[in-house]
Amino acid sequence: MFLQLVANGLVTGSVYAIAAVGVSLVYGILRLVNFAYGDMMAFGALIAFGVNGPLHQSMVVATLAGMAATAALALTLDLVLWKPLRARRAGFMSLFLASIGLALVLRQALLLAAGSQPRSYHVNPYRVFVLGGVRLSEQQLIAIVTAAGTIVVVGLFLTLTTVGRVLRAMADDRSLAAVAGIDVGRATRLAWLISGLLAGLAGVLAALVEYSFDPNFGFELLLPVFAAVVLGGIGSAYGALAGGLALGVAQEVSTWSGFAGGVNPVYKPVVAFAVLAVALMIRPQGFFGQARTG
Amino acid sequence: MTALLEVEEVVRTFGAVRAVDGASFAVEERSITGLIGPNGAGKSTLFATIAGSLKPDSGRIVFAGARIDRRPTYRVARAGVVRTYQAARVLTRMTVLDNLLLASTRHPGERLAGVVLRPRAARAHERRTLDRAREMLALVRLESHEHDYAGTLSGGQRKLLDLARVLMLEPSLVLLDEPIAGVSPALRVELLDHILAVRRDRSITFLIVEHDLDFVMQAADRVVVMNEGRVIAVGTPDEVRTNEQVVDAYLGTAH
Amino acid sequence: MSILASGSFWAFVGVVAGIYTILALGLQVQFGFAGLLNFGQVAFMAISAYTMAILVVKEGWSTWLAAPLAIVAAAVGGLFLGLSSLRLRADYFAIVTIAFSEIVRYVATNDTSLTGGTQGTIALGPIGTASEYNGQWSRFEGRVQHALGFSSSDATMLVIVWAVAVVLLALTWFALRTPWGRVLRAIRDDEDAAASLGKNTFAYKLQALALGAALAGVAGLFYAWEFSFFSPDDFQPLLTFFAWMILLLGGVGRVWAVPVGAGVFGFIFAGTRFLNFPPFSWFASDQRAYLRLIIVGLIILALVLVRPQGLLGNKREMVLE
Repeated sequence: MFLQLVANGLVTGSVYAIAAVGVSLVYGILRLVNFAYGDMMAFGALIAFGVNGPLHQSMVVATLAGMAATAALALTLDLVLWKPLRARRAGFMSLFLASIGLALVLRQALLLAAGSQPRSYHVNPYRVFVLGGVRLSEQQLIAIVTAAGTIVVVGLFLTLTTVGRVLRAMADDRSLAAVAGIDVGRATRLAWLISGLLAGLAGVLAALVEYSFDPNFGFELLLPVFAAVVLGGIGSAYGALAGGLALGVAQEVSTWSGFAGGVNPVYKPVVAFAVLAVALMIRPQGFFGQARTG
Repeated sequence: MTALLEVEEVVRTFGAVRAVDGASFAVEERSITGLIGPNGAGKSTLFATIAGSLKPDSGRIVFAGARIDRRPTYRVARAGVVRTYQAARVLTRMTVLDNLLLASTRHPGERLAGVVLRPRAARAHERRTLDRAREMLALVRLESHEHDYAGTLSGGQRKLLDLARVLMLEPSLVLLDEPIAGVSPALRVELLDHILAVRRDRSITFLIVEHDLDFVMQAADRVVVMNEGRVIAVGTPDEVRTNEQVVDAYLGTAH
Repeated sequence: MSILASGSFWAFVGVVAGIYTILALGLQVQFGFAGLLNFGQVAFMAISAYTMAILVVKEGWSTWLAAPLAIVAAAVGGLFLGLSSLRLRADYFAIVTIAFSEIVRYVATNDTSLTGGTQGTIALGPIGTASEYNGQWSRFEGRVQHALGFSSSDATMLVIVWAVAVVLLALTWFALRTPWGRVLRAIRDDEDAAASLGKNTFAYKLQALALGAALAGVAGLFYAWEFSFFSPDDFQPLLTFFAWMILLLGGVGRVWAVPVGAGVFGFIFAGTRFLNFPPFSWFASDQRAYLRLIIVGLIILALVLVRPQGLLGNKREMVLE
């Protein structure tokens, strides 16, 4: 039973981890906490639905379509909103407020376009794998494997490629990077591209794992994702991974009956926040983060 | 002369870098002590630990007989140790007068309970603070800017405001962080005059971090020299100027 | 179009604007004056409203005893949030406040025995007692209405809410002109500089948070009295964002800009109900609800882009640097 909970936690945690990397990447470069990220995830999930359902494509095609669409959305938003704000030297608070306004617009637009009814992908939820006493549905297994693979790829990209190193340099010090001749604009667009792709992927996987979803589900995921980013230290991709998995597992395991009956499953999100709160009290900069002042 | 401030074996590291590596020295009451050293010697870090914005990893900082190294900034300030910043941190979105009025101590009006329960005492204290603030403004010749936003002042004017503000706090020890950086020669002289006058009239002790060696040699009674996180020499300006170790440190030949 | 001329409708809009004024005033104290990024303001509204409802319906208290205690409960909530999170850096603090607000809503939704759960306060007690806090309030309102000689209870509520709002605005304005208020403004400007002047900045921020929470508590009480029954879904983060929008609209850092912002916001929000002309008339009415929120979101974006100091704000005092 306990192991099953850990496995379930790894599934949720995988989704959190992918999204957390996407959020962290943009924050590292632009110092922008993207409140609209959850709704971007929902956007990706819905596009994938549109391709999978009415257009009868396979989930793989649908996922790629969702990822591409979300990446396009991210780049468009950068052009239309974030770039003008940067030109006006908007500070952290302006950006935060703008991302909230954006989240509102995005979510309501999704509701307007797609309606609030729940949807599901055309998959077989009954195919189950049993691994060492643990049962995982096909979707859950896909989520874990995809997440693991994606994060390894992203991690390698950031460490090994030139452009990846550029992104990391910018996260360290944007103005210095500009002076060092790095094309800040191009790097920014690349960061949004990756962030958008990850948002789309995380959205599809989350929708896949939850089985049925509606346009509001993005926001529900957003807070645990932020918690994962903070836990792992804003600006650190590996931290986001660790934070995401840790939170996912903590949430599921907290319901274990071995812990004095366990937490009522309904309160799982509260567990995520509680973990975050406690972690921040012990180590205010997160586990992988640097102690930066505001 | 008794030592007002004693720094004992203070160590402060940042990751692998030992910015301050066992620094010890004493600052005597009513002295003007200079703290100099080449770049990276650890002066600013040490300054910050004395002022309370950084905690030392080990060592003690004793002020007027009491340890202050574990205290938060505001309590260090209340104990009588105040600092200015190299880039004068005036409150740009408030008026010059407000900046000074904030430098009052034990103002009943600044506490919510005081506002509600002791309005008359608060008003009286405010009047006194207002008078003192205007006095200070006159001292640094910024009276005409009383109602301007501090953000509109020039760099030199901000330094004067910064100085006036810390003096209003009636401190015992003032830490000046590069007071003449970016300041015109005429203003430099003015600042030095202020410091000397204040030391004389109000019995205030100064510890000055400064790169401009000429200024330090002119202003200071005693000079403490740091290099690579340690104190390598202490003495009068003349003694220090001719000290071989100090010369080596500045020329980069010392290790 | 007849509803456009309905005084009752506009009185209702006015009441809601008044409630939002008090809520946003709390935010103004927290952010406009102490620089705190509180995105969980709605939580304090919920704490206060539920505390009052539970005390009256379940414990049989008089509304007039329960109400002050409810405000205190909200302030204590603010203290709790502050003590646990104020030492965090600004962006983490902002996230934690949202988490706090969602936790409050979550507990209200799931602890059915305490709060009535998703059904809301209508499920707090048997029929009759469940409306008790509203009943006591209605009787009070009736007396005021009689004293004022009004014929409608909507107008009476409007007067009561705004009377309280004006008093609170005046008190806040006055508080900010005190030396205490000066320290708050200094903290917003440069917290470290304020600390080096000997100010215990943590204590001041905590006070601002708690006072702002208390104000949200007052707003929560009026919400409960105006809408009679409420449920956890009434206290979604959306309300906090509306309060932020009001702050942006009116201008950050100016007390009297808050009612202006609330008025404009109320007008926009209510006014968008009447978008009966093309292209809006092409949408079904439930879709128009989404459209209205899109407009609200776009306005927030436009404000941030074009006029971050708000309608009445002072560009020199702009905090959204």
